[in-house]
Amino acid sequence: MLSSTHRRVARCLPAQQRRVGIGTAHAHHGELLQGAFSHGDGVVHALVTLPYPALGSRVEFHPAAGTGVELPGPGYEKVGRAVELTLRALSDEPRGGRVVVTSDIPRGLGMGSSTSDVTAAIRAVADSRGTVLSEEEVVRLATLAEVACDSIMITDRVVLFAHRAGEVVETFKAALPRMVVLGCDTDPGNPVDTLAHTPARYDDHELTVFRVLRGALRRALEIGDVGLLGRVATASARINQRHLPNRALDLLLDIAAQVGAAGVQVAHSGTVAGLIFDPARPGWPSRVSRARARMRAAGLSLTGVLDA
Amino acid sequence: MATSFPDVTAAYQIPKVIRLADNLYGLCFTLMKMIPARHILRRAEEDGLLEPETVVVETTSGTFGLALAMHTARTGRRLILVSDPAVDERLLRRLTDLGAVVERVSAAARGGYQSARLRRLAEIRRSLPSTYCPEQYSNPDNPRSYALVAEVLAETLGQVDCLVGPVGSGGSMCGTTRLLRSVVPECTAIGVDSHHSVLFGQPDGPRVLRGLGNSLLPPNLDHTVFDSVHWCTAAEAFRATRELHREHALFMGPTSGAAYLVARWYAREHPDALTAVLLPDEGFRYLDTVYDDAWLAGEGLALESVPDAPVVVDDATVPGTRWSAFAWGRRTRAEVVAGAAEVLEGAR
Repeated sequence: MLSSTHRRVARCLPAQQRRVGIGTAHAHHGELLQGAFSHGDGVVHALVTLPYPALGSRVEFHPAAGTGVELPGPGYEKVGRAVELTLRALSDEPRGGRVVVTSDIPRGLGMGSSTSDVTAAIRAVADSRGTVLSEEEVVRLATLAEVACDSIMITDRVVLFAHRAGEVVETFKAALPRMVVLGCDTDPGNPVDTLAHTPARYDDHELTVFRVLRGALRRALEIGDVGLLGRVATASARINQRHLPNRALDLLLDIAAQVGAAGVQVAHSGTVAGLIFDPARPGWPSRVSRARARMRAAGLSLTGVLDA
Repeated sequence: MATSFPDVTAAYQIPKVIRLADNLYGLCFTLMKMIPARHILRRAEEDGLLEPETVVVETTSGTFGLALAMHTARTGRRLILVSDPAVDERLLRRLTDLGAVVERVSAAARGGYQSARLRRLAEIRRSLPSTYCPEQYSNPDNPRSYALVAEVLAETLGQVDCLVGPVGSGGSMCGTTRLLRSVVPECTAIGVDSHHSVLFGQPDGPRVLRGLGNSLLPPNLDHTVFDSVHWCTAAEAFRATRELHREHALFMGPTSGAAYLVARWYAREHPDALTAVLLPDEGFRYLDTVYDDAWLAGEGLALESVPDAPVVVDDATVPGTRWSAFAWGRRTRAEVVAGAAEVLEGAR
């Protein structure tokens, strides 16, 4: 039987028709839930990411003769790996090309800039061959190119995603409800090296709490309850504090309580964080502006307002 | 979603979440004690505490013993339960049928049945090469096992504003509440006890209502979990058990009735709060008592109705003669009992 990869290759454009490929991917704003969860017979580290479609990466792949891949500069090694892996997956003879990356995602804040570049690059290479890769294939290639990748390539549903295994642990039955997130960088100028930090070692109690949070998240999505979603995010952020402390968490929790935000969310590897507001509750715009004023006064640099 | 279970112990630990009013849900268990019994024995197995010849021993004459017996019957393990003569005959037959050995002690001159049971348990353990005692009153895996309940509540109801349940070992209420509060820190916890139980400060005394309350203080009872404590009489609990049956067709035991009495009142008083109530076991064991009008009348426990609301008391240490409530305020037992002593001192 032909593998799915072979079938896709069969659909690729002939070599003479290869064109400049374009791929895009969006950012995220850290996590709604992060922890370790039972999956099959074991426990895996996994995340539910908050998508941030306002920012993104765009990659062009200009096919060229030869085998070399020309990158925009240093710091794009993972993009280069992704391009090579994708070329290899699509054809038996890896070919070269030039990669152009445009991105407005801030780096080192935990907003998925790296995964976004990698995902856009994979899509651009596929596009240059006139094909579209399946989501599973994009996830597989992105995980190979990075040590761990975010789930930004999964755009049509909410998933609990094992970022090191590159595996969907659970697909939730409903989409995210509309919510407003006031984002900030809690430690401007001190980006986190995503790969340098070791995976959190959660204790038994935390593992138990994650079971409850996973259940609560299912319920929150099922009934579109932003209040409950905010509580899940807050509980997750509090646990994360023991493993990757966020210097502004206490301040954000304080502001959230004062203005009546639904919750606080943080990045699993980064300094970005946000206050979650429920636009179904009256008076939310004034809550947001009061929170914004307090965040500014405290010296946090705002990353924007996500209204999704 | 329909699901199959690997065996009965896995099935019995899952509560059915049943709506009793717009803002009140019952967690109906066939046998709630299956949760800690199964968790503790499986954990012991994983930790290598159970050799093939290890005998499980425990002092209990109640539903925890039944849950242990079901589990040991399924796993082919010997079980010895040390009980007092109060064990009911129907339960005894069931335990024996499951292969458990039930030893009944007679009261010691000092310390009553409880100390006689503990002494006999120690003797049994000395006489056998390998034993394991689950120790539901002190084993931290008892409260921990109730993560399952918190998980079910979170997934089915989302934000639970108030949890009501009977208190005996402290495992279910403390374990469930602690985890619910990881999502909803302000979640109100209401413990339901029997008058003449020492759990929340009253002196020990004779109790007709069994399955909740205690003559000893279990280490697993974390008093700082509770926002308020209610005590009720056997007659009130029995009447509420019958009302739960008549109004909702839920055939449960008297500890469920006691919890329902309090939860129904709380839900009425707090229409905007979502209340969940633990209903730990079914009514079959009580057909000849709680569900028998002649027996109730003969014992002087027949009530036409229950009070609409509890009497609010400001001293937790004085036993009452009707349903009463006390604002515990998440304090330690020492804080509350010492506070009561000071009030008394001041009154003199």
